[in-house]
Amino acid sequence: MKLAVFVSDYKITVDTLDRLSAEKMGIIFVGNGVYHASIKENGKPSFLFDKSAHFYALKEDLETRGVDPSGIDSRVKAVTYGDVVDLIMNDYEKLAWL
Amino acid sequence: MADIKLAFIVQRLPYKSENPKLAATHAMAYQTVEILLEDGQTITPALCYIGEGVLNCVKDQKAMDIYGITSTEMHFKSCLLVDMDVYVCKDDLEKFGISEDRIADAEDMGADKKVQIVPFEAIQKVMNTANHLLFF
Amino acid sequence: MAVLTIGVFSSLIGSMNYDFALRLSDAAADKGHKVNLWFSGNAAGSPIKGQKHLKDYSHGEKPLKALLEKGIEICTCEACSVARGVNKTNAIEGVQWNAMHWYLAKIYSSDRVLHIGGE
Repeated sequence: MKLAVFVSDYKITVDTLDRLSAEKMGIIFVGNGVYHASIKENGKPSFLFDKSAHFYALKEDLETRGVDPSGIDSRVKAVTYGDVVDLIMNDYEKLAWL
Repeated sequence: MADIKLAFIVQRLPYKSENPKLAATHAMAYQTVEILLEDGQTITPALCYIGEGVLNCVKDQKAMDIYGITSTEMHFKSCLLVDMDVYVCKDDLEKFGISEDRIADAEDMGADKKVQIVPFEAIQKVMNTANHLLFF
Repeated sequence: MAVLTIGVFSSLIGSMNYDFALRLSDAAADKGHKVNLWFSGNAAGSPIKGQKHLKDYSHGEKPLKALLEKGIEICTCEACSVARGVNKTNAIEGVQWNAMHWYLAKIYSSDRVLHIGGE
């Protein structure tokens, strides 16, 4: 399956994501999930980057939290709400909100 | 006409959140949705408990006696009573040290359907074959 | 044009998940997609009229009315709403009232479903 997973928290329920598998996976950081793209806890990037996935972070939620989208992890693409609509309609067939 | 498969996946603990109950009640609505669909259109739900969500499935919950609210166990059993496929992750039961004999069933309510305690891989297959995923 | 159905179970105030759902609905409608919004759980307390927009709090009434004007179908779970003191007489006009099968029926004919569980 082609699965887009919305990660809306920094530490909650990500253990579910750790076990999910898909032929193609997109991880979209929204809400406090955007900290995965912008914080290196103890100098280490989020373990979510160990997943084989395409990574996105909602630009509006980065900026809401004082994070400059140009400074986030290079593996993550900053996207707008409009971009998210295009992603879920064109690139993925199932959606999961964690 | 087609059948649409939905996977309702419960990953949260009972009572602190309303989610586990709402997963069961929304899944059970497959029985009445036909009034809004055309002939031959059906929805088939599967209710899956994973992670901390497996703690919803433990029997002998006394929420009605103590707090006056329907127990999560009752919702769980009602799903079996309406012949829904209900899966509980075996790996997570083991992780939390819960033996399979502590998991509720609905035999006392006259249900023919049995809960299916399966490895996570089997639940992943349910998600793979579902048309849509609903995480609670 | 595709059909997107979003189930929202989060409260209006406190998590921002509700705000996300409304913003995404708006963006999808702007791109010409058909959007259905289902409120259940704590979200079913949100379609009440007369909300005062204090800037410390997320606000539901004005954006909901704007989404309704764009043709987005919004329905609340009647049982969840009345349990929270919201009823047809004090609810925002245009919001539909139904049971959980409304959500499943909309899902049936949707291309994409985003189910945003509660807190």
